[in-house]
Amino acid sequence: MIRRLLHHSTPKARRLLIAELAFIVATAVLQGVVFLMLVPLLQALFTGDTAAARTWLLALAATAAACAAAHWTASQIGMRASTAVLDSLLTRLGDRLVELPIAWYATDRSGQTTQLATHGAMFAASAPYAVLRLILAGFITPGTVLAGMYLFDWRLALAMTATVPVMWLVFRWLRRGMERDDAEHAAAVAETSNRVIEFARAQPALRTAADGSIADRLVEDALQRQHRAYRGLLVTGGAGIATFTGVVQLALTVVIVLGAYLAVGGSLEPATFIALLVLGVRFTEPIANSGALGGGVAIANTALGQLDELLALEPLPEPARPREPQDWSIAFEDVTFGYGADPVLRDLSFTAPSGRMTAIVGPSGSGKTTVTKLVARFYDPERGTVRIGGVPVPELGTAAVEAAVAPVFQDVYLFDDTILNNVWIGNPALSRDEVIAAATRARVDEIADRLPDGWDARVGEGGSNLSGGERQRVSIARALLKDAPIVLLDEATSALDIGNEIAIGDAIDAAREGRTMIVVAHRLQTIMTADQILMLDGEGGIRESGTHAELLAADGAYARYWRERVDATGWQLTPTR
Amino acid sequence: MGTTSEQADAEGFFAPVRGSLAAIVALSVVGAVSSVVPFIAVVELARTLLPALDGEAVDTGRVWTIVVIAVIALFAGFGAAFASGAVSHFADAELQLSLRRRIIRHLQRLPLGWFDARSSGTVRKLVENDVTALHQLVAHTIQDVITAVAVPVIGLVYLFAVEWRIALAALLPLVVTIVLYAMMMRGGAEQYRRYDQATTRLSGATVEFVHGIAVVKRFGQLGRSHRRYREAMREYVDFIGQWTRDTALWFTAIEVATSPAVVLAWLLAVGLWLVEAGAAPIDVLPGVLLGLGLSGPLMKLGSSAQFLRNATKAQASLADFLALPPVPQPDSPQEPAGADVGLDRVAFSYDGEHRVLHDITATCRPGTVTALVGASGSGKSTLAKLVPRFYDATAGEVAIGGADVRDTASADLYRRVGFVFQDVQLLRASLRDNIRLTRPDAADEQIERAARAAQIHDRIMRFPRGYDSVVGEDANLSGGEAQRVTIARALLADPPVLVLDEATAFADPDSEAAIQYALSALAADRTVLVIAHRLHTVTGADQILVLDGGRIAERGTHAELLARQGRYARMWADYRANHARSLPEGARG
Repeated sequence: MIRRLLHHSTPKARRLLIAELAFIVATAVLQGVVFLMLVPLLQALFTGDTAAARTWLLALAATAAACAAAHWTASQIGMRASTAVLDSLLTRLGDRLVELPIAWYATDRSGQTTQLATHGAMFAASAPYAVLRLILAGFITPGTVLAGMYLFDWRLALAMTATVPVMWLVFRWLRRGMERDDAEHAAAVAETSNRVIEFARAQPALRTAADGSIADRLVEDALQRQHRAYRGLLVTGGAGIATFTGVVQLALTVVIVLGAYLAVGGSLEPATFIALLVLGVRFTEPIANSGALGGGVAIANTALGQLDELLALEPLPEPARPREPQDWSIAFEDVTFGYGADPVLRDLSFTAPSGRMTAIVGPSGSGKTTVTKLVARFYDPERGTVRIGGVPVPELGTAAVEAAVAPVFQDVYLFDDTILNNVWIGNPALSRDEVIAAATRARVDEIADRLPDGWDARVGEGGSNLSGGERQRVSIARALLKDAPIVLLDEATSALDIGNEIAIGDAIDAAREGRTMIVVAHRLQTIMTADQILMLDGEGGIRESGTHAELLAADGAYARYWRERVDATGWQLTPTR
Repeated sequence: MGTTSEQADAEGFFAPVRGSLAAIVALSVVGAVSSVVPFIAVVELARTLLPALDGEAVDTGRVWTIVVIAVIALFAGFGAAFASGAVSHFADAELQLSLRRRIIRHLQRLPLGWFDARSSGTVRKLVENDVTALHQLVAHTIQDVITAVAVPVIGLVYLFAVEWRIALAALLPLVVTIVLYAMMMRGGAEQYRRYDQATTRLSGATVEFVHGIAVVKRFGQLGRSHRRYREAMREYVDFIGQWTRDTALWFTAIEVATSPAVVLAWLLAVGLWLVEAGAAPIDVLPGVLLGLGLSGPLMKLGSSAQFLRNATKAQASLADFLALPPVPQPDSPQEPAGADVGLDRVAFSYDGEHRVLHDITATCRPGTVTALVGASGSGKSTLAKLVPRFYDATAGEVAIGGADVRDTASADLYRRVGFVFQDVQLLRASLRDNIRLTRPDAADEQIERAARAAQIHDRIMRFPRGYDSVVGEDANLSGGEAQRVTIARALLADPPVLVLDEATAFADPDSEAAIQYALSALAADRTVLVIAHRLHTVTGADQILVLDGGRIAERGTHAELLARQGRYARMWADYRANHARSLPEGARG
């Protein structure tokens, strides 16, 4: 844990952390020395030598003062160290978030990252003082006392030393067992809460089912499993703690019995024995307590492990000297790509001419959106090449791709700011009037008219005050403002009302002028007016391609798809009687 | 907390563990008492052995008796403390299970309208965080409090009995701890509030940073989000730093004042002074031995205060959830006769102040389609949701088969009313179980027939495990496919009354036609109430209710309403004009 903390810290935080550790060790050793001085002091006291006792008391008090000073210093440095470490961890996290490839953000990372930024980092930063110090003290102070005991009676010291390896083995075994059961318990907890949430979400459907339904059984099974896992954790944890504490108590028993035997036999000074007993009973407490602190280290390690994972992620390769694209055409050459096991695209090849609109259609799961993500360089293909203007994308570099491409995806993110500022992000150099003009071309003006504060109306967290279609219009306006030569559009699949549908159509018309556009198309109008249509086959390849007229004339899969879609627009809900 | 009902709830919470409470208390007391015995034994051992220093004989029998008592006490104390911990942890396990079951039971009884709002986050917090936060309260606090009180009390009683002056000296660190702790906690509540605020701001900045990163990267605005994150982070770190400095001063003062080294030096100094003043050295020993361990348990209690605070908060939020009123159930349920849906002067308000529906009266006959049309916000969705009792009417009556839905037993009601809305509700279970969710006894042929009619059978058979494929594991469905599974479910349930959102037909453009076939099959021979967004889909409806501002503005068939030249006729003309623009040539409209 310490190595990881040092690794993630700035030099200043590192120096503080090391100084803190040094003072923690000094405090623990001094405390052990104070305990040891108790032996000659008690000997002097019981033999009635008050002068010697007074000398020893002065020495003990001086050591205790040194110990208190070390403790105080450790705490002062520790405080500054934990703030410095917290600062380092959070700065490092922020810097890393900037560098990570976009692909990492494909799944929602906000919960995990927020947890790491708040609780995780805080816990890890305070762990050296709050947890590690107690564990170190739990071992170093008794260790010092044990070493010192050899000065007074080697037989008792040896007997106690013999129990140390046993304690160590049991401690290791305890930790391993708890880690295993803890993982199982955590899995069961995740399973249960997913089941309960699913149960809540599906409540309307479940109301129509009787009691004791399938869903009731699923949720009850999950509860039972978690209950069993928790009890299992308690049993192993309990058995482990019992054994560990038992061994510690056994060590004490050895001292009492052996000491009493030696004292009665006369080979051990009664005063020494009593003093050693005093050490013994006080000596075992911190060890027993430190057993329970292992969990704290585990929590801190989890947070540091997450940070390690972030740092271990490889960014995409970048060129030393980026090449210049000749135009804004896009070409796929034998591209194969998947998100894990099976490839979504297999040996896919096509060209999207510069300045033209290419529409992609095909069954769900056929990789339509994946094509746009490869153009935007969220990922690089496993095999094959994606070219922009004749240059392979890795030789252009992510920065050049990001500058050239304006993506309008389905999951549009809006900042909790005004509607105008959300468009303005597309190009902060423009004036307010220019921004409004561009936003009006994407029909965002209608949304602003509808809202009480017009252009200065706030859109809510993540844009929650706007509908999906409206958010997509804002996103198109950003793309217009950015004036990128390539626009990637993933049309909304959710049902749009007629007003939104027409507005989006107008916005797309405004965006396509003079730009290379790749559209994952669902609207009939978009599909039929495209300069080129690619119909994916659902097995990673292209079934048909051409213009709308050509494909209808060919009377193949596209023609069938088109007829079905057109028929669907005339559907009426009239029950067959 | 404070009101009697909440207190009653709190008692109800802990009912499952009340039986274990006596055992926990008794074992904790035994543990605390026995933990003091070994120290007393050491003193007695010294008393017995020390005469040897002056060459006197030692009572060996007594030595061994004390040794045996000490060892027994050692293991008894540890055993009792361990048993108390075990009992309380197992009690906590039972409590968690019983609380989670109560949450489930309560979820089953809440009005369906509750689930419209963002309920997932609330439920996740309840089952994951709140129930676990109670752990500290049940599993640790009782034992901690008893130990923190019993150990010092027993120790001090013994010390006062032996030598009152050393007892007084031992009391001092305890007093210092309590006083300093009180000083440290001054303004604590305010600081915790500020801590929560700083944490919330940092969380918000992190969420925005992560969610918006794709946008800001594409538009070269990375600096903006990163700056906001850095500002929130700076504020957070500064606050934490300041707070740590303020409290650490006191905390370290307590730690140093009660550290074994300092207390030992203090007690020995007092002891030596007493011996010089004539006390027996042996009477000083107990003070040194026991005085060291008096404030330890108290410090442990202090450090668990944060957990305790969380547990109290969690208990309050659980109590709030369980206090949400469930759907009222009828005392003497009526049996509906037939499948007519009757709305009689229905009014509804979400908040009790602003009515969104006024004076709605209509009848829907079996075998007919009734369409609800109107602009968004006209109340058509709300009206439709009153029939399956997502909400209860504020005034008037919603009746099925002549019986008020509020007077109908839930089981009876949901046998008669089915609904298909836009949000798809599939469980992570096999496709077979998902389809037969509401009819667990359905035979495989019935399930397959429903799936065929819902246009999803062929898709299901393309999964390697067919109907045994588990949704979200080896069956990944598109939006339209998932929608058809829910239609198959409704077909199998075969309710005579069906409430339907027409927008489901457009959930997935790639399987639009298939969903439409499925919906047409589902709508056959039922009392259908449909929320219509696209007017052309309901031109064949038997009855169209035109809603405006929560009132029925017009009603009739498509032809009748057009002839009237009123609101509906205008809506239709607008719709036609827009629709024609959004459709390509060659498509019917």
